Amino acid sequence: MLKMQNIRKSYRTDTIETHALRDFSLEVNEGEFVSVTGPSGSGKTTFLNIAGLLETPTGGQYLLDGQEVGNLSDSERSRLRNEKIGFIFQGFNLIPDLNLFDNIDVPLRYRGFNAKERRRRIEKSLEQVGLSARAKHLPAQLSGGQQQRVAIARALAGEPRFLLADEPTGNLDSLMARQVMELLEFINEWGTTIVMVTHDPDLARRAQRNIQIVDGQVSDLRQTIAQPEAAIA
Amino acid sequence: MFEIKPMLSALWRNKISALLIAVQIALTLAIVSNSVTIIQERQQKIDRPTGIDVENLIGITFMPVPTEYDMAGAVVADLDLLRSMPGVIDASVTNQLPLSGSGSASGYFLEPNQEIGDLTANYYHTDPHFINTLGMKLVAGRNFREDEMKILGAHDNQISDVAIVTQQFADSAFPEESALGKYLYSGRDDHPTKIIGIVDRHLGAWPSWNLAGNVVFNPMLITGNHKRYLVRTEPGQRDAVFKQLEDKLAERDPQRVIHVETTEENKRQSYSGDNLMIKMLSVVVGLLTFIVALGIVGLTTFWINQRTKQIGIRRALGASRSNISRYFLVENSIIAVTGLTLGGTAALIINEAIANNFSQPPLSLSLLIGCAIVLLVVSLTAALVPALRAANISPATATRSV
Ligand SMILES: Nc1ncnc2c1ncn2[C@@H]1O[C@H](COP(=O)(O)OP(=O)(O)OP(=O)(O)O)[C@@H](O)[C@H]1O
Ligand SMILES: [Mg+2]
Repeated sequence: MLKMQNIRKSYRTDTIETHALRDFSLEVNEGEFVSVTGPSGSGKTTFLNIAGLLETPTGGQYLLDGQEVGNLSDSERSRLRNEKIGFIFQGFNLIPDLNLFDNIDVPLRYRGFNAKERRRRIEKSLEQVGLSARAKHLPAQLSGGQQQRVAIARALAGEPRFLLADEPTGNLDSLMARQVMELLEFINEWGTTIVMVTHDPDLARRAQRNIQIVDGQVSDLRQTIAQPEAAIA
Repeated sequence: MFEIKPMLSALWRNKISALLIAVQIALTLAIVSNSVTIIQERQQKIDRPTGIDVENLIGITFMPVPTEYDMAGAVVADLDLLRSMPGVIDASVTNQLPLSGSGSASGYFLEPNQEIGDLTANYYHTDPHFINTLGMKLVAGRNFREDEMKILGAHDNQISDVAIVTQQFADSAFPEESALGKYLYSGRDDHPTKIIGIVDRHLGAWPSWNLAGNVVFNPMLITGNHKRYLVRTEPGQRDAVFKQLEDKLAERDPQRVIHVETTEENKRQSYSGDNLMIKMLSVVVGLLTFIVALGIVGLTTFWINQRTKQIGIRRALGASRSNISRYFLVENSIIAVTGLTLGGTAALIINEAIANNFSQPPLSLSLLIGCAIVLLVVSLTAALVPALRAANISPATATRSV
């Protein structure tokens, strides 16, 4: 599904050069649920941005679904993001001016679906996250947990093969966080590959595999699923 | 594809600034379209044919110094001199200079002994050379004969036996039939003046007068305290002749004050108000358009800065660069079209008001639409630069900024 080899990413400002990722290699298989942990500033978001085609690496090779994405044009990358990848952000990132229905509609319009198909998908995904009754509400009229569920609905509506989440529970209390996590697990069971960055070790353990990024490199590839307490937690 | 509906609901939440720009566009259209209408009308007025050979005409005014002066004799001698000068086609005596802004008018009646219902016309007291001197075209009848010239004093009853009129005056006096052979009368008088000829066109002394073009010519010399001549030169000879005129006339008779001016200069001065109006309104039009463009650049830039995060999110969700640019251009068009619709309505109302109160020309729909299209293009061009810049906002903004 995702294969990164010797990915490098450095940011250059006038004075300093930061190496956010160095010789970063990782493979994620179809249908996996991978959690990513690591200290702040270690490069987790950078990895996710490159994986999701939001940023281009400085060097190295990235295959998404077997396709080399390094040389794609901006519009081809946009299309891939739109069709194959769903994003969930820590800050929910709903568009404040649009109601829930129109928020979920945004990626579907870029996809070019007709109005009927869009409506079907929006209604279905709102139902999946249990917010059908709120379709006409604005994001500001919802709780944080509800907003994140709308963001998930928006990511799901395009039926992406690959879901990327950057601290999706970071702004939520533990109850809300668990609800969101359960939703993600449910989505994963239906076949969507998920990579989730989190600071919460309990949530990280619930994933099939946890990788740790330290200083821009993968440091540990433990299989969390083998640990018996993960099943209880 | 153009996401009009969600765009409208997003706009609705920012309605104040959107409305401000729409109102600015509306006012601009209202003012610009009315200004352009006035500019067009003034330009058309300036461009009207004068009916005379403006470029080659020179006007002379002289005033004799002695109180006892043989005016009639002086005129004959002067005209002989002028007509014999090299480069001169012809010369005439006249009471006024064409397009100069100063002249005489009188009321003409179609029946004797009337007091009301006259037609006003600018009139010349001139001689049989006037058609050739002014460079006009006789379209009907004949020219004056020398024996029809009347030489009168300033206090005589100055009524001519014959007259030549412009086609415009002939048409307004006798709309149904030919004016040739018909008679004109002064008020409370029964002396007939027969129309013996019609010239095609002449604006007379006041081009800005609402009846400009109503002109009557009489074969007459009034021996008053000053006299005027008109001199027509060969093409290209005007300036050379102009330089000698004062000296030649003074040489023949030094006992007078002489002033020489070109008809071209008279015309320019007569239209200076119109030209000033055109310049001022053009500046207003240019300035307003510039200000509205600045406003649009400012607002679009402001909105894009305000929505940087949102643009990043849209990019992350699959919007291409052109999707982003197009979003802002379409949004701008919605605002502009709203403004232009409001402005078009306002323009028609304003025009109605000034057309009624200041006798301004009516605003034509095609001109209004033309101005609206120009403003739409200006508005889109103004939005284009910020919209293209918005497309450069990185999709990573979605995850990076808070
Ligand atoms: N646009 C940028 N310009 C310069 N440096 C950057 C930029 N984005 C990230 N970095 C640097 O790259 C490194 C990795 O950042 P990244 O955001 O990937 O960390 P992270 O693991 O997600 O941290 P956190 O847990 O705090 O979110 C950091 O040192 C950061 O300062
Ligand atoms: Mg991060």
